[in-house]
Amino acid sequence: MPASCEQVITLDGDLHARPAGQLAVAAAKFAADVSLTVGDKTANAKSVLAVMGLGATTGQQVTASATGSDAEEAVAAVVAILADATKVGG
Amino acid sequence: MNPDATVGIVLVSHSAALAAGAADLASQVAGGPDGVAVIPAGGTDDGGLGTSAAKVTHAVKQADRGAGVLIIPDLGSAVLTVRALLADPDDLPGPVVLADAPFVEGVVAATVIAAAGADIEAVRGAAEEAWNARKL
Repeated sequence: MPASCEQVITLDGDLHARPAGQLAVAAAKFAADVSLTVGDKTANAKSVLAVMGLGATTGQQVTASATGSDAEEAVAAVVAILADATKVGG
Repeated sequence: MNPDATVGIVLVSHSAALAAGAADLASQVAGGPDGVAVIPAGGTDDGGLGTSAAKVTHAVKQADRGAGVLIIPDLGSAVLTVRALLADPDDLPGPVVLADAPFVEGVVAATVIAAAGADIEAVRGAAEEAWNARKL
């Protein structure tokens, strides 16, 4: 059974195009399937257009999930980018 | 083919400003100009609206990093110009692939996935999948 991992983070800022791109570049380097869920929308974290299509804004909860051999590292990388890139003024 | 090289991208537009602006946007979203080569080939040789085979050939050579080059055209004769070049690709580094993709969304998706180290077919796939992306 493949490893899976999930973590929830609350955004400190809106998820703009540049952090969405940074997030997709990072996610695409992992073998695991990585997804982001905001409300009732789920996006493939490796697709920058899908991530931008979430329209995630300040104060929303984002669930990062991954399934695969490197799921834990993938979720940690994605959450770190969400925490850093959506800081106010960031 | 160099396994560490990233796929290069060429934007062929009737408008030099449109190609340059879309290339700039895609580079910024994918992490900045030091990453993937996104080269605009817009306008005619004398600076008007239209496409130029010479500009496209030059841009493909600039974009080539040893992992192939994806070309994204805007409309109509941009496609014809690229197809004519690809029919006789002796002057071009290979592989050079033409994408059927929306211009802005396609180049952003392609540049991001190329920055992650994807191969030419995966980069073409990301560009063409952009038809399915919803904004709302």
